[in-house]
Amino acid sequence: MKLWIGGAIFVAILMGITWMMAGGDIGANDTMGSLAMLGALATAVIAIFVSIKYVRQIQEEKAGGELADENWDGIGEYKNELPMGWAVLFLATTVWAVWYYLVGYPLNAYSQIGEYNEEVAIHDASFADKHANLDAQTLVKMGESVFIVQCSQCHGLAADGIDGKAANLNKRIEEKSVRHAIVNGANNLGYAAPMPDRNGLFNMNTGALITDAEIATVSKYVANGMKGAGEDVFQGTCAACHGSDGKGMEFVAPSIADFNPELVATVLKHGKKGVIGAMPAFDLLNEQQIKAVGAYVTSLSK
Amino acid sequence: MFHWLEKHPFFFAVAVFVTIAFAGLVEILPNFAEASRPTIGTKPYSTLELAGRHVYIKNSCNACHSQLIRPFKSETDRYGAYSLSGEYAYDRPFLWGSKRTGPDLMRIGNVRTTDWHENHMWDPAGVVPGSIMPAYRWMFANEADVDTAYAEQVTVNKVFNVPYNKPIPMKDGSTETVPMAASLDAAKAEALADAKVIVADMKNQDVKDMVASGKIPEIVALIAYLNSLK
Amino acid sequence: MENRPLEYDYTVAKWFMIATIVLGVVGMLVGVILAWQLAFPGVNLMLGEGLAEYTNFSRLRPLHTDAVTYGFTVSGIMATWYYVGQRVLKVSMAESPFLMFIGKLQFILYIVVVAAVVVSLLLGFTQSKEYAEFEWPIDIGVVVVWVLWGVSIFGLSGIRREKSLYISIWYYIAAFLAVAMLYLFNNMSVPTYFVAGVGSVMHSVSMYSGTNDALVQWWFGHNAVAFVFTTPIVAMIYYFLPKESGQAVYSYKLSLLSFWGLMFVYLWAGGHHLVYSTVPDWMQTMGSVFSVVLILPSWGSAINMLLTMKGEWNQVASNPLIKFMVLASTFYMFSTLEGPIQAIKSVNALAHFTDWIVGHVHDGVLGWVAFMIFAALFHMAPRVFKREIYSKSLMNTQFWIQTLGVVLYFTSMWIAGITQGMMWRAHDEFGNLAYSFIDTVTVLHPYYTIRAVGGTLYLIGVFMFAYNMFMTMTAAKRVEESQMQNTSPMGA
Ligand code: HEC
Ligand code: HEC
Ligand code: HEC
Ligand code: HEM
Ligand code: HEM
Ligand SMILES: [Ca+2]
Ligand SMILES: [Ca+2]
Ligand SMILES: [Cu+2]
Repeated sequence: MKLWIGGAIFVAILMGITWMMAGGDIGANDTMGSLAMLGALATAVIAIFVSIKYVRQIQEEKAGGELADENWDGIGEYKNELPMGWAVLFLATTVWAVWYYLVGYPLNAYSQIGEYNEEVAIHDASFADKHANLDAQTLVKMGESVFIVQCSQCHGLAADGIDGKAANLNKRIEEKSVRHAIVNGANNLGYAAPMPDRNGLFNMNTGALITDAEIATVSKYVANGMKGAGEDVFQGTCAACHGSDGKGMEFVAPSIADFNPELVATVLKHGKKGVIGAMPAFDLLNEQQIKAVGAYVTSLSK
Repeated sequence: MFHWLEKHPFFFAVAVFVTIAFAGLVEILPNFAEASRPTIGTKPYSTLELAGRHVYIKNSCNACHSQLIRPFKSETDRYGAYSLSGEYAYDRPFLWGSKRTGPDLMRIGNVRTTDWHENHMWDPAGVVPGSIMPAYRWMFANEADVDTAYAEQVTVNKVFNVPYNKPIPMKDGSTETVPMAASLDAAKAEALADAKVIVADMKNQDVKDMVASGKIPEIVALIAYLNSLK
Repeated sequence: MENRPLEYDYTVAKWFMIATIVLGVVGMLVGVILAWQLAFPGVNLMLGEGLAEYTNFSRLRPLHTDAVTYGFTVSGIMATWYYVGQRVLKVSMAESPFLMFIGKLQFILYIVVVAAVVVSLLLGFTQSKEYAEFEWPIDIGVVVVWVLWGVSIFGLSGIRREKSLYISIWYYIAAFLAVAMLYLFNNMSVPTYFVAGVGSVMHSVSMYSGTNDALVQWWFGHNAVAFVFTTPIVAMIYYFLPKESGQAVYSYKLSLLSFWGLMFVYLWAGGHHLVYSTVPDWMQTMGSVFSVVLILPSWGSAINMLLTMKGEWNQVASNPLIKFMVLASTFYMFSTLEGPIQAIKSVNALAHFTDWIVGHVHDGVLGWVAFMIFAALFHMAPRVFKREIYSKSLMNTQFWIQTLGVVLYFTSMWIAGITQGMMWRAHDEFGNLAYSFIDTVTVLHPYYTIRAVGGTLYLIGVFMFAYNMFMTMTAAKRVEESQMQNTSPMGA
């Protein structure tokens, strides 16, 4: 009796902790998750209670039977019959296996890819409604969850770029990135006409190519959120493409004054290589997720 | 019958052998040819990539990382399209792994870049706080074994007809050719040229210096390999 | 001749016993280091930055798996073979100088191979296939050692006096044949140096590529488990438990059906390592289905052994050697139930790639394989060294501390694995993945720590074992073999 109770307590504790840790993550229609939990329970229960059964036999019954003639180094052998339960189960599982293989699920009756397609269809359908009606705030929240799973490995959980290892997304752009774009031009984002390098950047105000000093001031100006000295250079050199407020012009150049969802989508589509490093193009996300992560990144610097 | 077998070790052994060998034949033979046909777009490895693959194997990265994306929504969301048999046609040995202490790397080339790997292999926890992956700093100093990579290319080309120097059909209908050099020296030169492309995106000065002096550090080969996983 | 007891020659058994102990200590020490490395990655630098290449987790992991599998376990198998073989076939090694020579040669070559393995794995020479890591020159060495074992098995059987083969011999023969076949096919490879004329002489490429390579690997891998961690260990328990307890084996019929059932079913189950992979669906299904059937022939042996002890609770309570064996058969039942359940496709979808598998592995190897080997060596020691076991209380302490170790190991990995598996699959309220990968790593820290503690306790037990054996060899009270029929003599 003590054994049985002890066994039950052990199973309960083991399953209890497992459930506490992992139970909350079984999705509503994740049969595999539930089956795995069931499997774990079955393992614990059967193993413990079958062992106890045999321990009881060791404690209480007595061995006996007819001995075989042979004897090896003093070891004898009883001619006892097979334990009934064992024999029946062996036969039953064998029959089941043959049935399963020949009748239940014969050779090509099942396809894991078919199963996958169904899983995806059900999953997508169950979120379609929700995604159609997201308000701005919820969209940002959804974006954050995408960001943490897909982007935080590079940009960091706080999107701060981890000490300059990737772009800091709490701020539109750093001075050195602006300078890099001006000096080397930029051709990451798939615009029909890329940004020329410094040898193609005329300052309308002076009528000459942009100078070192002007690059320095305008870089500071842009990195500063379009504030401070350098506005004249910007208006004279950059505004033609990036707009006088720096917010970009459709089909011409991206916003460099702030993040917006389209810019983020463009970066995700094309990837980006700059002074900081390289970001790959991302085709892992669906449209809804791109929209959401765009909203999230945009919200960071607001 | 069993009693008789128990008195005749030789026939006993034969009976056991037949019993166990039978299953193996049924399991392995029927599918052998089909499973090894490459999918469209699957290319053999270049010399530098193979050298990197050897670095991966030498350090048993497969002890922690799988390269097998199973057909579940949760895996294709995380890692990309599920794996197809023919994508592994040029993998000798296969590197599926059996434990994911770290994430799957089957398509890591789609989501990480050279400079990220450089930072990460130097100090994983510095990039991903809480990472338990070891740092692999000696790879920034050890030289990759290009000779053996070239030997492997020659071997698989000769023995298994791996199509080097032949047009390989790509998904978009075009073809690409993976070169295999005619001599070791040429192979080394090719690998070095590939290494220079990688190293241009890296920041570590020692690595840059090594490549400039004609040597290829293990890390560069490894990154070439990781970038090829798509 | 028939009437007077044979003088068995245990020289080779003795050598392999010592190898078992040494390699057990080494292999499990490395295991403990791995466990601490996963809990505290700083341990990767335990010998400093300069040696990190040789002390980091990924370089050491194959060393652990191979040291415990081909070192500790295989030496244990050989030690018991060179002991049990003579006794149940009723023939002494001393009667055949040829077989004596073969035995000694096998040991010496074995040690050479082990040394080569340790050095080559530390240097990073590996074919990367699990449990078949050794590069081709070492594979050849392994094959030679194995063939020598075959010569010994069939040689001794050829000159045996006992006409009919005892159950243990069935299992040794099966282990020999299966491992020979599997190892050979899985390690087929082409050394590149001999084709290309350049590069490393050690390097080779697998004869199979991609999915085929995986198929051969897990046909091998699963059965390497079957025929290294199961069959020969069953051989041991069929001898040592009845012998130590003086009880007759419960049922010949059960032995017979379990054996042939196991032989037939085992080889079909390898597909359970490839569930939801790119091998064809029918092959995966076959692996799952046969795994479930496999419960019964596996349990057959365990039940047979437990029933052999029917009514002998006083022996279980008073003899630590029997405690080891009874718990071993219980853990054998546990892992051969857990394994099939993990082989069910939907369960494997969650369990594969997680620590739940590692938990399954270790309740098998720690609770079953290693316990059985300890018990076998304890039983052999007084007969081989002609001294009583040095300390019974140390045995008891070892038993309890290791049992606690195993329980901590498998419960923590069970929880860790299921948690990790669930987290990987979880989607949030928006249908996106709920956790980044690193979330699923950091959450395991407490469990990795508990496992490391459990492993350390187990290792402490191994040191007690080594000490106890050492003292038995050198300092314990002398006894003559003729004085021991069953229960082994033990000092307090
Ligand atoms: C001829 C049009 C043109 C002019 C003039 C121009 N840009 Fe650009 N700029 C672009 C385009 C197009 C891009 C996007 C390039 C790409 O595909 O990466 C761009 C990109 C940039 C970027 C990189 C944005 C990012 O997300 O990293 C910065 C910074 C930038 N421009 C700043 C400037 C500044 C400052 C000036 C003036 C000194 C300037 N640009 C002048 C067309 C122009
Ligand atoms: C492999 C690392 C990596 C991943 C993953 C990554 N990024 Fe980036 N990302 C970068 C790097 C590096 C830059 C900076 C490139 C440069 O300007 O030098 C960058 C730049 C950006 C920029 C442009 C910033 C600018 O100033 O123009 C945006 C927007 C961005 N990332 C968003 C994302 C989002 C959203 C995700 C996830 C879905 C993501 N990134 C995933 C590495 C990464
Ligand atoms: C002890 C286990 C361990 C070993 C050994 C290991 N890794 Fe990792 N790896 C991890 C973990 C955990 C992560 C996730 C956290 C992180 O990104 O650092 C990871 C992440 C990665 C990633 C990023 C994957 C992604 O999707 O973010 C790459 C690439 C990688 N490892 C490559 C390697 C290579 C190459 C080796 C061998 C030279 C290696 N790892 C060895 C545990 C390991
Ligand atoms: C009925 C018997 C058994 C069955 C059906 C079985 C089944 C399984 C399954 C399904 C896996 C996991 C595969 C994966 O998803 O990665 C596995 C792994 C493993 N099992 Fe068992 N198991 C059995 C008994 C045992 C025993 C008794 C031992 C050892 C004593 C053992 C040792 C292992 C090992 C070492 C692995 C890990 C293989 C790897 O490296 O991936 N198994 N087993
Ligand atoms: C002190 C005892 C031991 C400890 C602490 C220990 C620890 C470990 C650790 C940490 C791993 C790596 C798991 C991972 O990659 O996540 C491992 C793997 C393994 N160990 Fe042990 N181990 C011990 C004893 C043994 C013994 C005695 C055996 C065999 C007889 C064994 C066989 C294995 C096998 C086969 C694997 C590979 C499992 C797989 O790939 O799934 N271990 N061990
Ligand atoms: Ca494994
Ligand atoms: Ca090998
Ligand atoms: Cu298996």
